[in-house]
Amino acid sequence: MSNREPRASGYFRSSYDQGLRLVETRTQWTSLILFLAVLGIFPFVASSFQLDLANQVFLACIGSVALMLLTGYAGQVSLGHAGLIAAGAFTAGILFKEFGAKFWVTIPAAAVIGALIGLIFGLPSLRLRGLYLAVSTLALHFVVVYLGGEYETKRGFSTGIVIDVPRIGDFVLRDRKIWYFVLFAFAAAALLISLNLLRSRTGRAWAAIRSHETIAEALGIGVPAQKLLAFVISSSMTAVAGALFGYYRGFVSVEAFSLFLSIQYVAMIIIGGMGSILGAILGAVFVTLLPYAIEYAVGLLPNARSYAGMLAAFNYAAFGIVMILFLVFEPQGLVGVWRRVQNYFLLWPFKQKPLGGGRK
Amino acid sequence: MLNRSLLAAAALAGLTGAAFAQDAYNVGLTGALTGPAAGTYAPAVDGLRIYIDKVNAAGGVNGKKINLILLDDSAQPAKAAANATRLVTDDKVVLLLNASLSSTYAPIMAESQKANVPLIFASSVCPKTVYPPANALQFCTTAFAANYDSRAVLDFVKATAKEPVKLGLSAMAIPISRGEIDYAEELSKTLGMTPVSKQIIPPPTPDYTPFATLIKDAGANWVYSWAPWVTQVRTLEGLRRLGWTGDYVAWAHLEAENELARLKDGKFFVVGANALFQEDLPIQKEIAAAAKAAGSQYPVNQMTEGWIAGMVIEAALKASGWPANAEKITASLSNLKVDLKGLRGGELQWTKDNHFRTKQYYRVYRWDEAKAAIVRVQDWKAFDVK
Amino acid sequence: MQLAINIAVLAAIYALIACGYVLIYRVSRVLNLAHGELMMLSSYLLLTTASLFSGNPLIALGVAVGLSLCVGVLVYLFLMRRMTGEMVLAAVLTTVALGVLLRGLVVLIWSAQQQNPAQALGWVNYSLPVFGGRISAAGAGLIMTTALVYVGLFLFLRFTRYGIRMRAAGQNPLLAAQRGISLHVIYALAWGLSTLTGALAGILISLDSGLDSTMVLIGLKAFPAALVGGLDSLAGALIGALIIAAAEVLMIYYVDALLSDVVPFLVLILMLIVRPWGLFGTREELDRV
Repeated sequence: MSNREPRASGYFRSSYDQGLRLVETRTQWTSLILFLAVLGIFPFVASSFQLDLANQVFLACIGSVALMLLTGYAGQVSLGHAGLIAAGAFTAGILFKEFGAKFWVTIPAAAVIGALIGLIFGLPSLRLRGLYLAVSTLALHFVVVYLGGEYETKRGFSTGIVIDVPRIGDFVLRDRKIWYFVLFAFAAAALLISLNLLRSRTGRAWAAIRSHETIAEALGIGVPAQKLLAFVISSSMTAVAGALFGYYRGFVSVEAFSLFLSIQYVAMIIIGGMGSILGAILGAVFVTLLPYAIEYAVGLLPNARSYAGMLAAFNYAAFGIVMILFLVFEPQGLVGVWRRVQNYFLLWPFKQKPLGGGRK
Repeated sequence: MLNRSLLAAAALAGLTGAAFAQDAYNVGLTGALTGPAAGTYAPAVDGLRIYIDKVNAAGGVNGKKINLILLDDSAQPAKAAANATRLVTDDKVVLLLNASLSSTYAPIMAESQKANVPLIFASSVCPKTVYPPANALQFCTTAFAANYDSRAVLDFVKATAKEPVKLGLSAMAIPISRGEIDYAEELSKTLGMTPVSKQIIPPPTPDYTPFATLIKDAGANWVYSWAPWVTQVRTLEGLRRLGWTGDYVAWAHLEAENELARLKDGKFFVVGANALFQEDLPIQKEIAAAAKAAGSQYPVNQMTEGWIAGMVIEAALKASGWPANAEKITASLSNLKVDLKGLRGGELQWTKDNHFRTKQYYRVYRWDEAKAAIVRVQDWKAFDVK
Repeated sequence: MQLAINIAVLAAIYALIACGYVLIYRVSRVLNLAHGELMMLSSYLLLTTASLFSGNPLIALGVAVGLSLCVGVLVYLFLMRRMTGEMVLAAVLTTVALGVLLRGLVVLIWSAQQQNPAQALGWVNYSLPVFGGRISAAGAGLIMTTALVYVGLFLFLRFTRYGIRMRAAGQNPLLAAQRGISLHVIYALAWGLSTLTGALAGILISLDSGLDSTMVLIGLKAFPAALVGGLDSLAGALIGALIIAAAEVLMIYYVDALLSDVVPFLVLILMLIVRPWGLFGTREELDRV
């Protein structure tokens, strides 16, 4: 879905419309339907714990796709992603606690607040680039978290704001299975919105800004407006993810939104592969599941329980190492690996691309 | 191309749901075993582990082993939530334990309610829900307790102080500590003391001197701190560095015993509910021997909390018989009496309404320069819990 | 008076940490976000050397500082060297990853317990009266060390062969390389020196007030100081540290202690809006990023 190059199968685009299609070939249709079928069956065969993991992955996907739009496509670095998630979660939590608002109020409200904060986060981007921009978003993260913490203590919710289970009439959103489909719908929506944005004028403008701001401006792109738009859209999506997180877990508390969470999201888009929505999804899956995989691996060791105390440290260390390995050896991320595997089979029995033609 | 990654994820998740022995009591703990907060929890959890291992080696409870599952949440709420889910749904535990920061309470309480599995706070601060009238599913073995601690401390200050008390207060900028210090501020006024300065200190503070300066300049002659040990002791060090000579009283956390010996400060009082190891009780010798045999990396005198939790769990399981389910265990927890053999001032008793303890006992210690040892300043004093 | 001393100690802490950020940034345009973790690692190394050379605190101190220098050089040789010439952002993220790795390793090796290096060295942190106020021995040590480090760095960069090469590499790496300056040696040196100054800061802080993993956050809090002063200016780091420290301590004294936690970052945002390149930074730097 993500690469806009002609397929090696002999499928060639013969009109511009074809280039804009989300799903182009029959093989893609088949695999998409298969994929959806697998996703549809999964909750009925999975254990509750596995469902929980899947739900975490969906939540992470929304956040990482949003960050990918901002960083991977529009080229604006952000280290304040956790702050935005916190903003969304706290919007939901505060509205619930103070006004008893229902979730169909709080989630749109989170989107609006996210957009506003995105505007604030984005303002420095008009003046700053790269590193300095990253630092300013980092600073804003601390401000948001501070405000959230103050609210918690001042109002006496010292162990976090507890949010009731959302319900529509008699229908209570409690079961993980139902959550699975809700979160899947939100993640799919985020994905579709992003893909549509990217194939429209906005997406091209972002790509131009990422490549070269001056040239983008010369092409007639309103650079400041487009940058802010990228921040607004990305933040809004992220804040919704935050609000969903609050509802899913049933509580909101500042400790859940540490700087490390921002780092995890940045790691998702790096490990997944910059500039690819598929990468954002792969990265979200990988980063979310890595600690559990490590936990499982450690559990296999003899005398596992005496290592239990070391697990988080193992996780930290392993997470750092994986991130370093990707940065140093595979800057293209998991998507790069995937493309290489794909190419291997496409080119087989050759190792190199044939000269002149075929896939770039 | 998307489905492959998901299949891989599903396969991975499938593997994690490992099967556990059905022929044992499954007890699951989520705790801050690592991470910045681990210092207060990891030693206690290790104590619990050693105790349970000892019980198992001696044949278990009712002839069945206790399968203690330890999961680390690094004091992160999201991780604690995932851990709790896993313990309840995959490991089918009949009893949940929490040994972590208060920020992890909300998710684990939610999980315990949803699955109807009893939850014991062991070495983590007791939430209000275990005080009478208690939540049916929540219990707490931890020594320190909001409000009761400040009552005991201010009671001690009032009894000890010879001149009018001008009280300085110090808290860490975490909700639980701030709440307690706010409570102490109000309480001190009713006891005829004057609170002169209240400092709330953000955790990553490189230098405590500015805060100490404010307390000293406000003219405090007594300072009370109820916070994680770092804040308590760094405030004291900051004050002493400024030449302040007043009396300082703080909660006796796990670290207290070693730290009193390190600081050697005759006017530093610690108030606690656990007997320090210098009492050399038979049970403490037993703990020391067991810890040594298990090769634990933590100081023995920080394991009391875990040991007490272990005794309580053993007693509750014994009373529930075999096979036990969560309901039976909740019932036996709600009507429990455990002899703590001197580790605390009296036995730990839980009733239907009171899941904290019916009487809370406090002892006060300090360092005595002349004897070059820790001495008892005030022996067990009981406070009724109503 | 005590107010001034408190500001001076905090400023010294921030300045000593900030010069580590500046050293690396100035030479290689890489922002080292693992500085706090490297600082923590060095302080933990002191714990180990203190138990190895028990009875000889000075040797333990010297060995720990020396080891830190080696750690810095090794980090460059085995990790950051591969990132030379890559996107700056990739390099910065590599340091973030390094930081995460170090945090894990430190806990694996030394556990998460609160430690007291001063006790391990057998030192007592005396309190000294000065100008009507009081300062701890470690605090005084911090101020003196910071002064020495800054004077030393100034002399080094101005008058020694390697110092001049370092500045050259910072100004124009390509030209410097063509004139026969080995960039790898210079970069490794910058990393070594930066870790060394960080180690001094970490060790002195931990001697003053104990050691645990919150050390990392202290490293991060010093970062606004470097940026406010200008990321490529040592003098700027000093002034920036003073500004941030003064803002923080005054906030504790007169407004709300809780704000002191965010004030450095508020000052930072303000600076980024008004003058992103910092008080003493070079303006063109901004476009190179």
